[in-house]
This record gives sequence, structure tokens and C-alpha cells, in this order.
Amino acid sequence: MSDAGKDNAIRPTETLSMPSRLERAVDAADRALASGNNVTLDFGNCQFVTVDGLEWLEEILLRSESFKSKVTLVNLKPQLYKVFKVAHIDSLQKACGAPGTAAGPVC
Amino acid sequence: MATTTKEQDLGLIERVNSLVRRARLAAAVFTQYSQEEVDRIVKAMTIAAIEAVEDLAIAAHEETRMGLIEDKVLKNFVASEFHYHQIKDKKTVGIIRQFPEENMVEVAEPMGVILALSPVTNPTSTVIFKSIAAAKTRNTIIFSPHLMAADSSNMTARILYEAGLAAGAPKGFISWVEKSPRLRRETELMMVHPEVDLIFATGGTQMVKAAYSSGKPALGVGAGNTPVYITSSASPQSAAMDVVISKTFDNGTECPSEQTLIIDAQIADALLAQFKRMNCYICNQEEVEKVAAVAIDPRTGGMNYKLVGQPADTIARAAGIDVPPYTKIILCPLEGDLRYHKLAVEKLMPVLGFVVVNSVDEGINRALDINYAGGTGHTAGIFTEDDSVLERFSDAINAGRIIVNSPTSIGGLGGVYNNLNTTLSFGCGTGGGNITTDNVGIKNLLNYKRVPKRTNFTLTFQTTKNIYINPGSLDHLRSLKTKSCFILTSRSAAKRGHLSQVTERLPADCHVRVFSDIGVEPDWAAVQKAIAAMHQSQPDTVIALGGGSVLDAAKIMRLFYDYPELNMQELSVKFLDFRHRMVEFPQKVHTQLVAIPTTSGTGSEVTPFAVLKDNENHRKLSLVDECLLPNIAIIDANLTKSLPKEITVDTAFDALTHALESLVSTFASDYTDGLALESMRLIFEALPETLKAPTNIVWRHKLHNASCLAGMAIGNASVGINHGLAHSLGALFDVPHGRANGVFLLSTLAYNAKVPRKFMPSSTYVEWVADEKYARAAKFLGLSPAYEPDRNGSPASKNETKEAMIRALQRAVYDLAILSEQPLSIAELGISREAFDKALPQLVRNAATDMSTRTNPSLALIGDVTELLIKAYGPRTRP
Repeated sequence: MSDAGKDNAIRPTETLSMPSRLERAVDAADRALASGNNVTLDFGNCQFVTVDGLEWLEEILLRSESFKSKVTLVNLKPQLYKVFKVAHIDSLQKACGAPGTAAGPVC
Repeated sequence: MATTTKEQDLGLIERVNSLVRRARLAAAVFTQYSQEEVDRIVKAMTIAAIEAVEDLAIAAHEETRMGLIEDKVLKNFVASEFHYHQIKDKKTVGIIRQFPEENMVEVAEPMGVILALSPVTNPTSTVIFKSIAAAKTRNTIIFSPHLMAADSSNMTARILYEAGLAAGAPKGFISWVEKSPRLRRETELMMVHPEVDLIFATGGTQMVKAAYSSGKPALGVGAGNTPVYITSSASPQSAAMDVVISKTFDNGTECPSEQTLIIDAQIADALLAQFKRMNCYICNQEEVEKVAAVAIDPRTGGMNYKLVGQPADTIARAAGIDVPPYTKIILCPLEGDLRYHKLAVEKLMPVLGFVVVNSVDEGINRALDINYAGGTGHTAGIFTEDDSVLERFSDAINAGRIIVNSPTSIGGLGGVYNNLNTTLSFGCGTGGGNITTDNVGIKNLLNYKRVPKRTNFTLTFQTTKNIYINPGSLDHLRSLKTKSCFILTSRSAAKRGHLSQVTERLPADCHVRVFSDIGVEPDWAAVQKAIAAMHQSQPDTVIALGGGSVLDAAKIMRLFYDYPELNMQELSVKFLDFRHRMVEFPQKVHTQLVAIPTTSGTGSEVTPFAVLKDNENHRKLSLVDECLLPNIAIIDANLTKSLPKEITVDTAFDALTHALESLVSTFASDYTDGLALESMRLIFEALPETLKAPTNIVWRHKLHNASCLAGMAIGNASVGINHGLAHSLGALFDVPHGRANGVFLLSTLAYNAKVPRKFMPSSTYVEWVADEKYARAAKFLGLSPAYEPDRNGSPASKNETKEAMIRALQRAVYDLAILSEQPLSIAELGISREAFDKALPQLVRNAATDMSTRTNPSLALIGDVTELLIKAYGPRTRP
């Protein structure tokens, strides 16, 4: 049963370790989200992310909004954090705790 | 139901967003790739391109009906094989270049998402070239093809994409706009899309202009109109063959190809005969008109696009000219004023104009006519064996590539006939409205991150080589190697008997000339008189006998005597940083300089400085250079025994200022610190004793040494804001230098002991430590911490102790001044408040811009300088 109505502050949080190459959906994360939990994705072991991996992250962040739960990305290595910066995906930035993608080039 | 334009646009926008988003994600993922991964991808793409060169050439020809399949094959090879050969070993990831001498490296950063426009003339080779270049630089690329060549362009992009993907490239790293009637509109939308980082525009002028107008960074190309000068020293046979190879290459579609030949008259007949032999057709004037009528569009004055890339016989047929079968080029003599000839423009077809000239000047001028008729910045060519003609041609012509003794079209592509970078995109510089004249390639598709490490100036320690330091050391003059000696001294030195002490010790056979009209603080005019006197007596040695002004003047005299061509104005030009100053001083001076100070303050006998008064501008001019250092310094305290009390105190305070300022200077070192500290110690000890017993040689000797030690300290660490203030005050109100220094000392000690409002930027000064150094000086002098009177006896913190030590130092200075009756404020100098207030703006300006301030530990702001001056007016109280 979905816990869509529950305040995400009182939901349990499930922490999932990301694989060394994030190149497809991580089913456990999808399941955790579906069960109404907040999800922390631990990138401590992750060395590389593919386009498919990025697209999955964007998708899961979108779904978390509909579940009203929270997905947090932690332990990012600079190489991966830069990928998220260059990708200009606002939801990814926010999931990392950043204020979001800048509106555009700033002089 | 028909859709509206708005609905169509919404659909387009969706397609554009989807394309760009794929490219953006791929660009993000690409940032993780290593050089090895990138090189593996590039290699796979190149192999795929080489395997498809023929198929792609056929596809391009079938779709565009332009050019020749065989030449398109060659172009595809150039874009793949040649291009790969040039870039395969180039570093494009991480540190790509190192500059050990500059202590700097360059690190590559991809540009991101590139929108690439590809042309109808080279649809497949351009896509091969740009795809490989983008992958090598970890950029992603979206191709917007020319509508008339979209199928072959996109076929090429797909082949390279699939090869790259199979080798591990990110999904979506190459993409393309599908052929559709709205392709142009889709391209326009992408040009202004916020996720597109760069537009790489190769194609027609309109598209390039649109790219530049988008507001995005853009790499564009300009129009060509290649003049080729065939000089009398060229080989007619070789030149003709190269021109034929070039102008027939892909039926003339290459924009660097020859458009007009400029032929030296001496070689014209032989060259034209060669062209005929090679089956080129030379028109008569009537035929030229006919060719112009079809090759040029009368509405625009430019080439007729329907004939671009068509063979010569097709063009001849269109013009109604009967030419032999397989005619290679139609050559048109351009008579009359070349600048107004219809055919003197770019013609991307095998139609070639020519003119005959009678001199090199005329040849270059006619080449300029063509060059500036729509082709500036693009390409030019020359056939010559004469390097001087080549140099003149290259200097005059504005072209990004000036091809020598080879075909301009294939030569311009690079790699076949020369070592130019291989390209299908010719930068034309500002002449063609571009940012670069490069053969555009991977170099232009990277952001370069420069990583300069801090460069510390190598500090050295220099001073006068021979210093004789004990009382009586004047006797060294007896062994001085000189035949002709010029003594610069003051009148007072003569009166005090110093001059005779010097002259009687000089070798008997030495010719001596004495000059004592130098004045108290000489200006440049006074020094020039002395130099004139030197020239009369032709000395090999200058002896400077006197105070700081005399010694400084002698340094300048010696320099100008050895190098009369030097310019005082130039030598005294200010500088921000000694290492970068614009003035160059001579490396060596020949005339010997012996400095004999008769006061104990300036230290000039061991410094590379000389200060002159600039009476016109009421300021002081400073010269700084190692070549000003005297060869010999004689520190004989006997010469100071008769110094009046006032001068003794003034000069001692000058030396004390030197010690205090060099200690906290941004150029201070362990070497100068030792000298400064010992100098202070000697002054605090010897000045009170000297005042009690002015003729006591022991104390005089210590004061004299203190001055010399402080001189060595400032000679290497320089001074600070106190000197800037003193120079300013001294020049405006004729205050002796040491006394002027004294009135600011308490203010500048307090000022420099506080954390600066603005730090002095200097690569040698890694940490602001002025407060600690003052505290250290106080400890070295054996001063007791000066706590506030209400302090209740509890143990002081480290910081409190430091502040108390600084205060103790300030008190010591104050007490010494009071003891020696040295003025500590401007008011005590007899300067009225009214005169001071009136002069304040100039005092501030002169002090703030004085070079002495450059090594002060705080960067003194105008407000700081003003405050320091006002505070120094007085009166003072004990700190």
C-alpha cells in the first residue's frame, strides 16, 4: 500500500548503496519508494554513471514527488557530482542538497 | 485538420528539447571519460568512417549533384585518416600541457553540447571531421545538415555514432536533425536553446551569420576569394599542374581553391602554354563576358549557385562556348580595372580568372584587390622561390592560410601538402567575421583551464662588495687603485677637515679633482653640473664623501658618466614590481665608486638606491638598481665625531626608521631581519650615549655601524609607508629626511601593527606578520611588556603579551625621541596648521604614490595616508 499521504519527515528512510557503475534502474530503490519509505542513495562505491543511469535517477526523483517521499543522494565523489552539475537536472541538484540548477550563464 | 504554425512550432520545440536533452546528458556523462577511453572511441569512429568513404562520397554526390565522387572520397579520407593521424596522440583529457618554466599547467574542459552546421558542398567529410573532433574533446554534437544534403550528412553521422557507441561512447553523443521542410526552423530554435554551448558553423554566409547572431559562442567560417600570385621565379609547369589539381578538386567546391591568378609577365606566356597543354581553356574577351553571364548571378553579383561544383564543360555549355572535351578549367583573362570585374569574386566551380602584372608591387596590389573583394581572412596562395617576395606577400595579404607552391584547396585542408592542421572548417579571423584564423579543429573545441602555481620571487642579498668598518679605516684609501679621482663632497665636509683627510691618503700619483658645489639636497640640474665636471677630468674613480645626498648624487653621476645616453626621466619611471619594471639599467658600470659616509643614517654606501629632489614637481625621484651599489664603503666613525647634535639625532632616526621598516617589509628575509634587529639594538644603546659624549669614538662607531647595517637591510628589503610620508613632507617643506621620518614613526608603527584594512599583494609575502615582528623586536631589545596601567596582575594571554610588547617598542621610540629632543610631530617642525592643511592634498597624493609604500605590509589606502598625515601633525603623547 502506498503511503502517499504521509509526511515524509515521519517516514522510515531506507539507505541503498549504488553500484560501482550506475547504468540501469536499481530495483530496490524503486521498491523502497513504492513501499512509502524515504530513500537515501549512497554513492560511496559508485565510480561511473551512464546516460541510462542519469535518466533513471531523474525518473525516480520524479516518482518520489508523486509519492511525496524524499530521495537523497549522498557520498558523491567529485567526478560524479560534476556529472550532475553538467547535466543541468534541477531535481538531481536538489536531491544532493544544492539549491537547484542556475538559470543560465551568468556574467 | 491542418495544424497551425504555432502548433507546428510546439512540435518542433518538443523535438528540439528532446535532441538537446539527449546531448546534454551525454555531455555530462562524457566528463567521466579517460584519455584512453576517448582515444578508443575516436579510433573506432575513424575506422568506421574510412570503411565508408566511398559509400558516403557516392551518397553525397547523388544527393547534391555537386563535385566529383573521386574527390569526395579523398575529402572523406582527409577528414578521417589524415585527421586521425594528426590528433591521435594529442592529449585532450586532464592535464594537456605543462609549462615548467611558468610553473603552470593547462587542463582540458569539454565545451559541452555543440550544434554543428554542415554544408552542402562537403556534407559527409564535414560530418566525419566534426564528429571525430567532438569525440576527441569529449563534447557531444548535434548536426544540423543543409537541407539539400541532409540524407548523406545524417547517414554519415549515424555511421560514426554507432561506431562510437559500440566503442563505449555515451548514448546520444552524436545526434542529428532529421530532414524535413522545417529543418531550418528547427536549427534556428536550437541555435538559441539554452542547453547548446557552442555553435560550430560551416556553411553558407547566411547560416554563419545566424549562428553569430544567436548570442552563443560560435566558431564560424568566412567567405573565400583566393588570390594566387605566380611569380617570375616559379616553375610554370609545376604551378600550372598544382592549380589544375586544386581548381578541379571536387569541381572547385572547396572554398580555399584558387579564384584569380596574378601572373608575373615574365612567366605569363609559358604558364598559359602549360595550362593549354593540360587541357584548360583560355577564353577571349567575348567568351569571358559569356562565362561571367552564367557564372555570376546578376542579382547578387556573387556566384551562380546552380553551377557550383559543376564540371567545366557543363559551364561552357551553359555559356554557349565551344570547348574541347574534358576541359579542366575555363581560364578568363580579367581585363580593365580588376576591382570592378564581375569575375573577380568567389566562384566555387572550375572557372578561374587571371591577370598579368609587370612588377612584384603590382602583383601584390592585384592580389590585395582579390583578397579584399570578399575573401579577407580566408586563403591566399603564392608560387615563388624568392623568400623576400613571399615575406612581402604574407605581410600584405590578410588570409588565415597562405599556401606556398602548392594547391590552395587541398593545401588548405592541411596534412596533404603541408603541416597545417587538417580541417573542413576554415577560420577567417576578424577579416571574415570569425574569432580565429585557425584551421579549426580539436584545439578550438576545448576550454583551457590554466593552473598557475604561485611563483615566488627568488630573494637575493646584495650589498657593497668591500666594506671597511673600523675607526681609522679611511687609511684604506692609501692602497686605492686609482690614477684619476673625482671627489664629490659638501662644503661642510671640507670645513670639518674631512676632505683633507681623504686627499692626503690618496696615492701620490693620483690626479684629484674636487667638486663641492653639490648643495644640501641636490636636484637633477645640480647633478648634471657635477657630471659635466667629471667629463672634464676623466676620472677612473669617484669618491663620495658626505651624507646621504652626496652619496646618492655620486651614484647617479657615476652612472651617467659611464652611460651618457641614459635618460633620467626613464630611469626614474615608477614601477609596481621590480621584476616587471620597464626600465633597463646597464649591467655593468666601469668607474669605481668609493662611498665614505660622514653621517650615521642613510646607509646609502650599501644600498642600490639613489634619491634626487625634483624641484619642479616638489617630489623625490628614486632610482633603484644593483648597478648603483658602490664598489667600496668606508665606515670610519672618526668622520662623525664632529657631527652636530641635531644631525646626529636626525640621521640616527633615519637609520632607526630603516631598521623598523625593513623588519616588516614584504621583502624582508631572515638575512635582513638580523641586520634590522641588530641595527635597532645599536641605535637604542649608542644614541643616548653619543648624546652624552659626542666625541666618544666607541659610541660613534656603533651608531655608524647601525646605519650601515640598516642600509644593508633596506638595500634588500626596502622601506615602507613611513618613507613615503617622509619623502612627501620633506620635498614640500624642506625637512631633513631623518627628521621627516621621525615625525611619522609612532603613527606608522601603530598602523602597521594592526591587521591591515587591505593586505599588500606580493608573491613573496606569504603571511602578514608585522605585529609579531614588532613584538619580536621589542623582546630582542630587552624591553618589558607595556601593559595598560589598570592591568590587575593576572597572567597575560599570548595576544595581550604581543600587544604589550608592541606598545613597549612604541614607548621606546617615543622615549628615545624625547631624550634626544627629536620632533615627533609635524607641528614641532614649525609647519603651521594652515600651511599643512593647504598642502595636505598634495602630501597625500605624493605619499600614496611613493614607491616606498610598495613594500609596506599594509596597502595604504588614500584614507589611511590622509589619516596618518593628520595624526602626525601632533602633538604626541606617550603610547
